[in-house]
Amino acid sequence: MTDGPLIVQSDKTLLLDIDHPLSTECRRAIAPFAELERSPEHIHTYRLTPLGLWNARAAGHDAEQVIDTLIKYSRYAVPHSILIDVAETMSRYGRLRLEADPVHGLILVTTDTAVLEEVIRARKIAPLLGARIDAETIAVLPSQRGQIKQSLLRLGWPAEDFAGYVDGQAHAIELVQKDWKIRPYQELAAEGFWHGGSGVVVLPCGAGKTIVGAAAMAHAKATTLILVTNTIAARQWREELLKRTTLNEDEIGEYSGAKKEIRPVTIATYQVMTKKKNGVYAHLDLFDTHDWGLIIYDEVHLLPAPIFRFTADIQSRRRLGLTATLVREDGMEGEVFSLIGPKRYDVPWKEIESQGYIAPAECIEVRVNLTESERLLYATSETENRYRACATTATKRDVVEALVEKHAGEQILVIGQYIDQLDDLSETLGVPLIKGDTPIKEREVLFNKFRTGEITCLVVSKVANFSIDLPDATIAIQVSGAFGSRQEEAQRLGRILRPKSDGRGAKFYSVISRDTIDQDYAQNRQRFLAEQGYSYKIIDADDVFQGKL
Amino acid sequence: MRSFSDYLRSIDDAAFLNLFSARPDLVTPVPPDIASLAVRACSAPSLARAIDSLNQWHFQVLEAAGALNEPFSLKSLVALTDKAAAAALTHLISIGLVYPSDDGLRLPTQLREVIGNDPAGLGPASIAKLKLSDLDLAPADSKKVLERLTWGPPRGSVGDIKNPGPGVAWLLEHKFLVPLDQRTVILPREVGIYLRGGKIHKERLVTAPLLTGAQRDERQVNLAAIANISTALRWVEELLNFWAEEPADSLRAGGLGVRDLKIISTHLGVDEACAAFITELAFLTSLISIDANDRIMPSNKFDIWLMQSPAARWQVIASAWLITSRVSGLVGRAEAKNVAALGPELDRVNAGRVRALTLSILSDNKLLAPDAKSFNTLLAWRAPVRRNSSLQEELATWSLREAEWLGITGQGAISKYGEIFLSGQDLELINDDLPKTVDHILIQSDNTAIAPGPLEHEISQQLAIMAEIESRGGATVYRFSEATIRRALDHGKTGEEIKAFLIKTSKTPMPQPLEYLIADVAKKHGKLRVGNISSFIRCEDTALIAQIMGDKKLDVLSLRRIAPEVVVCDHDAADVMRVLRESGYLPAAESSNGVMLMGARANRALTRPRPPRIIGEIEIPSQELLEGAIRAIRTGEKSSHKQIRLRQVANEALGALPRSTANETMDLINRFILEEKSLSIGYADNNGSVTHRIIDPLRVSAGSLIARDHATGEVQSFRIPRITGVAPL
Repeated sequence: MTDGPLIVQSDKTLLLDIDHPLSTECRRAIAPFAELERSPEHIHTYRLTPLGLWNARAAGHDAEQVIDTLIKYSRYAVPHSILIDVAETMSRYGRLRLEADPVHGLILVTTDTAVLEEVIRARKIAPLLGARIDAETIAVLPSQRGQIKQSLLRLGWPAEDFAGYVDGQAHAIELVQKDWKIRPYQELAAEGFWHGGSGVVVLPCGAGKTIVGAAAMAHAKATTLILVTNTIAARQWREELLKRTTLNEDEIGEYSGAKKEIRPVTIATYQVMTKKKNGVYAHLDLFDTHDWGLIIYDEVHLLPAPIFRFTADIQSRRRLGLTATLVREDGMEGEVFSLIGPKRYDVPWKEIESQGYIAPAECIEVRVNLTESERLLYATSETENRYRACATTATKRDVVEALVEKHAGEQILVIGQYIDQLDDLSETLGVPLIKGDTPIKEREVLFNKFRTGEITCLVVSKVANFSIDLPDATIAIQVSGAFGSRQEEAQRLGRILRPKSDGRGAKFYSVISRDTIDQDYAQNRQRFLAEQGYSYKIIDADDVFQGKL
Repeated sequence: MRSFSDYLRSIDDAAFLNLFSARPDLVTPVPPDIASLAVRACSAPSLARAIDSLNQWHFQVLEAAGALNEPFSLKSLVALTDKAAAAALTHLISIGLVYPSDDGLRLPTQLREVIGNDPAGLGPASIAKLKLSDLDLAPADSKKVLERLTWGPPRGSVGDIKNPGPGVAWLLEHKFLVPLDQRTVILPREVGIYLRGGKIHKERLVTAPLLTGAQRDERQVNLAAIANISTALRWVEELLNFWAEEPADSLRAGGLGVRDLKIISTHLGVDEACAAFITELAFLTSLISIDANDRIMPSNKFDIWLMQSPAARWQVIASAWLITSRVSGLVGRAEAKNVAALGPELDRVNAGRVRALTLSILSDNKLLAPDAKSFNTLLAWRAPVRRNSSLQEELATWSLREAEWLGITGQGAISKYGEIFLSGQDLELINDDLPKTVDHILIQSDNTAIAPGPLEHEISQQLAIMAEIESRGGATVYRFSEATIRRALDHGKTGEEIKAFLIKTSKTPMPQPLEYLIADVAKKHGKLRVGNISSFIRCEDTALIAQIMGDKKLDVLSLRRIAPEVVVCDHDAADVMRVLRESGYLPAAESSNGVMLMGARANRALTRPRPPRIIGEIEIPSQELLEGAIRAIRTGEKSSHKQIRLRQVANEALGALPRSTANETMDLINRFILEEKSLSIGYADNNGSVTHRIIDPLRVSAGSLIARDHATGEVQSFRIPRITGVAPL
């Protein structure tokens, strides 16, 4: 028995003891093939998945290296079945190859005819194939490249894609690092993506994903389509690109509800892409009409279904997905991986925090009691209204008031789900409110005032969940949310994670009604962050009122 | 010419010892004399058994011997095979498959039948004198025919023997083919041997084929093995703990249902083959028992097993596995029906032998993890099977797999624990080498706790109640949730106790959210109370309730007041009404939905009616059955009559005590009771010595005959089974 930092479990999870002196070394060694699942304070959990092992194969690691690594760092003997499984899984990769043939176009080639025979008989695969060329080769419909890769993956015979990517129309893009420097992890992420061809980069909120996108563009040096969640985010991207790259204003276009510009670098919103006109998606052509060399999906966890479908058809273009929280409550994570590409880079939030690139944050759950009459109302309300009934209790208003008062002078965001609750809060606190029907112009003005410090407190609805860059916000107070959404919780915390100029930590308050469904949802919401190592502190509303914090 | 029994009479004790240890069936049971030993040794089943123990080379030599005419010499045997045949012959003689007679070597009489009529695919010897050198001159057509028959089977079919093709005709003419019947010809043995170039086998497999595979590192093998050992122990323990909570039901035909096996496989996180193996282990070691209601549950042997050291526990399961004839690998196979774990269809005669052979091959090749192909080749050489060879290969494959699961091997090569186990030495080493147990856990803020090694038994039992196991292996990951905390509370723990236990056991500080979770659940737990009750009394007048509670006459009802206006009682509502009325109260009945019940209530039984069964006449069987029965009775009568006659003749001649069979005894006793005649019986006492008594039978009662003994003049009871015979006076 060695005294390694890693425990290999029989269910293919790897437990990494991070208090062990070799843990960092071990983490680097297993990162290429194991997927990080949870990273709480003491023991991180990784998982060996076929996808992860195949990605490792694609990146040039072989089964022997993987097995050696496991044995080297393992505290106990590695279960033999796992070693066999690793070798077997990895040997499946590359038996099938997708290649571009000068005569037949896209072809599926194999070295193992039995495998080919097996897959071409599969019901899901057969319609995607063209004519049989010889015993080892079969033509594939070029438009089905994404689909066939996805289906082969599900069958357990992943195809190695040698068909390459179209270069797209060349366009010179360089990073301009004058008053800033690209951070090591951003560079690693961009390189990881570039070598892999396509894929997803997972970085915590506030860790500078835009820069990873810019660096990827500098690698591609080609025209780029960037898809973002909303117009505000589009403008932020534009500003960042102007600041960080050689691109000038004329080279960047905005394709949104308001403007329809197509430039070498075009930033489009998901909303406009999925807008239907006479029953058809009028704007999806944007993918095709231009010879993009790179397509970037910002906040890829929000990717809407029509774009999913369309993405399957553009497998010959390089794709980069960016996200902080690849947890989808609809369980579509797998789809993201197979359509955009595998996870190319992932790092625990706490690691970035310890390097000082995101602000340390304290998460606090404040529990309030419902009043007697509210309790009765809650107990008798219909199931679909119960959450609203308890989440919007009047007691929360007093707590928020006390918290805002306590943190006077700091930049505060009050975030909630229900508009009348937010209206009420905005009125009580006497601060502006940004919600869905606030015009873009007005939003920009308010955000700008907040950034400059002209106003220190904003009440925002879920429109501010994502992509809104508010560097100096240090306090977030959450009063209600989209039920038990884990990624919403993480994204809201993300709003206050930009490192502060004075190195101050951020505080994330979540105001919860005690003994209600609100509390159950909170537990689910907190799970993602808890798994990232954020430990919630629970306090009572009375502690807030009495100033005991 | 000396016979086999003469030969046996001539050999010494050492030779007998060799013979008996190679063929234990010859001495089970011990034969009375050499003649019967010889008979047994020459019987087909015993010979077949002995032949099964031969390796490929020995079998080839035996086949060559079968192809020779008796008596034969070593020289002729070597000529057909190889120089090495001398050593093989010694072995064959030592196990009695060949024996030296005074005129040369001979085979036990039935051996030729056992090895088959065409040893090594050769036909019978030719009667005619053959000029074999003529074969070289055979025309091309004939050569083609010969090519077909050379390597056997030696029979060929022709369209019509009277009108054969030119190739066959030439051969028939030269007697190189012999007609068997209208359509079949056979190649004589001499011709076959000549065509095979004087040797009877294509290849003479004198030495065992080389075993190939992956070379392993000794340290890694033992590490892997010890991990397997600890895993196997954990599996068995978890399976039994699981069944203790949720016993499985055995199928009507016996065995564990597919669904239950799947549940086990998911619970343990292993595939179904492995799950079947583990359930079988528990079954072999009697750690489970199937009770009268067909429920599969841990037996009390499990508790004893748990208290033993890991080495002892492992020895229990490994030893049971080693010798069993049950083959868990067959589980899930669809034969006539699905073969079930713990079911009756798993026994295979060869299982133990193949397992032992597999392990002995592994022991002979240390640090080698054999590849399947070369292993099967070697196995086929060590134990050539002539029928169902695929089963032997499967048995071996399963044995290899199971040896790995058990930790007898590690990474496919025999481990030191396996070697010690197979040699029967002390396994204490395992206790030292198993990973040290840990006595702490690490609780994290995502409501998980991790035991970074095998937990001490006490702690793991406690934790299993208050948390769900999420991942197993060297370490264990537990997850706390509202449901698991509630389960701990249901098991009678208080929130404070849970908290104290976790704080004591965890090396890391208790995260606040978990603390709150426990407190929250504990606060809510038990707020609603549920119980069974037969009737209730409610009254809006609390004073009246108080009066009822104080009323001594109502004590028989043992009333309990659960709320100011409600009293409950374990008696039936009708009884309660009666008692209340008798005590002067005026109760009214209420239905379950609160409606007042008025009017006379006609009572109805609550159980389903069961009308008495009709005892009918026995159906008359068919004519054929009756005739058959009569025939059987007559035949039986005839033969027993003959026997009695013979015995009487013998008895009279010897003047012995009366003897009769049990049926005759009862028959005679009944007759004499009716006829009230005295009779003579033989009666055995406690020591088995039989005395002669003259008695007057009175009646039969509870297995005894009550009769007056003429010798004592007293009425005495005679136990019927002790009556050795009855005869009229």
